[in-house]
Amino acid sequence: MDHRTRVYDDVTELLPSEENPSPMVRLNRLSPAPETFPLFAKLEWMNPFGSVKDRAASYLLRDLEERGELGADTNGNGRPPRGIVEPTSGNTGISLATLASARGYPMLAVVPNKVPLEKKVLLKIAGAELEVVNDDLCPSPGMGDGSINLAKTYAKAQRDRYAMPNQYENEANVRAHLETTGPEIWRQTGGRVTHVFLSLGTCGTVTGLGRFLKEKNPEIRIHAVQPTEGHDVPGLRNVRQLEVSKLFDPSLIDEIHEIDYEIAYTRALELARKEGLLAGPSAGLIHEGARRVVERGGAGFGVLIFPDNVFKYTSNLVKHIPALAEGTTPPNQPSRANPAQQPQAVQATPTNPGGER
Amino acid sequence: MSEYAHPEVLVSTDWVHEHLNDPKVKLVEIDVDTQAYSAGHVPGAVGFNWQTQLQDTVRRDIVSKAELERLLGEAGISPDDTIVVYGDNNNWFAAYGFWLLKLYGHEDVRLMNGGRVKWLDEDDKELTAEAPDVTPTTYRARGEHPELRAKVGDILKIIEAGDHNLVDVRSPDEFTGKVIAPPGMSETAQRGGHIPGAKNIPWSSAVAEDGTFKSLGELQQIYQNGQGIDPAKPTVAYCRIGERSSHTWFVLKYLLGIDDVRNYDGSWTEYGNLIGQPIER
Repeated sequence: MDHRTRVYDDVTELLPSEENPSPMVRLNRLSPAPETFPLFAKLEWMNPFGSVKDRAASYLLRDLEERGELGADTNGNGRPPRGIVEPTSGNTGISLATLASARGYPMLAVVPNKVPLEKKVLLKIAGAELEVVNDDLCPSPGMGDGSINLAKTYAKAQRDRYAMPNQYENEANVRAHLETTGPEIWRQTGGRVTHVFLSLGTCGTVTGLGRFLKEKNPEIRIHAVQPTEGHDVPGLRNVRQLEVSKLFDPSLIDEIHEIDYEIAYTRALELARKEGLLAGPSAGLIHEGARRVVERGGAGFGVLIFPDNVFKYTSNLVKHIPALAEGTTPPNQPSRANPAQQPQAVQATPTNPGGER
Repeated sequence: MSEYAHPEVLVSTDWVHEHLNDPKVKLVEIDVDTQAYSAGHVPGAVGFNWQTQLQDTVRRDIVSKAELERLLGEAGISPDDTIVVYGDNNNWFAAYGFWLLKLYGHEDVRLMNGGRVKWLDEDDKELTAEAPDVTPTTYRARGEHPELRAKVGDILKIIEAGDHNLVDVRSPDEFTGKVIAPPGMSETAQRGGHIPGAKNIPWSSAVAEDGTFKSLGELQQIYQNGQGIDPAKPTVAYCRIGERSSHTWFVLKYLLGIDDVRNYDGSWTEYGNLIGQPIER
């Protein structure tokens, strides 16, 4: 493969690596101190399946393949090939499902109900079967997460059909970032990086790139942002929800910023309108965290991991910023079918705005 | 577990594991999430659906005695068998099933401590998606224990007399009326709040970090010393639809050993819809 001509034999050759890093773009209008503390957004949606999770998914799948856990040869008897089952809020599932489909084995995605419809449909488009779990029950001590438990149940009860990559426990998730994201950032910044801003979910990103970068330069500060409790930012976990991840290593995180989750949506909109970056809500939250740190003063060189773009979150954005839905249908016409709307329609359209006619 | 007032009704996952091939031990899984059983269950366990099999599907009521007899017969269970129930969400609906079985007079019912998640997370425990091999029986219930159930008439008398411990096991937000039901729950009421005189002791107060029940000493500390539940008084537990209160009913009656404990299964979705009755917030 030749990354200069960008002509490939197989979509998986597009997966990110030190030689083919995801791009970093300087923030210009939304950078509080562009001279003393430049901020660069690492655009993970430029990965082939659209998110930072392409990294973990490809490593998790390769790990299972190397252990001989997947494919047609593992069960015999003419039954369907052994596939994967994974709890996912969407992005890992979309990457895994696409990769699995391309390799010819099935995938069952166990998805919390609050995941946006776009992601559920994308999972199906990518070839996954869906099992949707109502995850918002009364908190149950020691019970962990409903979608994780159900996926584990499938993997344990139906071993002949499913192997579980388990992004929450599998070290391959960490290795993906140790071997790709970390080295990419180091090389792309020429070693100048001083701060990394990211979000927490499985903690694969923070643990992997944190280990790599702090080994290169122990002075590098890792800032994690997280939404306030009761949040509605898919893919992210509040610190009190983090116990489900075995990959969480607090020693690598210098600061955790808890930010009102509504800000995720307004900042995402700003990134689109002021920087031309069509970033998703988690990127919005990360940007807010970086902004707060830069505004404390001091010099630095910040890298912001933008996990995915906004395309999958249009319905979520409308929910939080209802004004986005305005004007998406034809203006109200006075009509016999809907007389109640008539006065409003007349008011909304001034009859003679410029005094001309 | 041996310290509890009636330790024989609680078994460990290891005990169940050792009795997987015991023909007198019948396993029953009852979950909140009715998808879970078909994804995988303890080998040999039958699954009961609380929505369609443990309640009357026409009028609002628990399953009738005849229906439960039919269900148990089809599951190959006899009145002499030991029934072990377990389920998800810390055994919410498993405890409800336990209560129903006791109400209809099944002698030997036990709860698997920690529920399905404890089993799931233990490496030496198997799960299967295969349906169990069942030989149907004709089940005849050996009598009923209506004294385990509180009905709305009882509640109205209790409010009047004030001579009971009344335990509301819902979350504090439901108790104070800030919300009527937890998010995502479809069963609801016209009004929020609680029954006058009730004490709010959320069901999860009884559960340790690993999902099993807390020790007797801890439970006494919470229910008796902390919240002032007088074990000498008759006691009623309620929640929203009667499943979380079954869990606390089990704790009060079998672990703490309070003699007279009833589960008010009508709970808030009955009381909070009554016209003209007092509500505290």
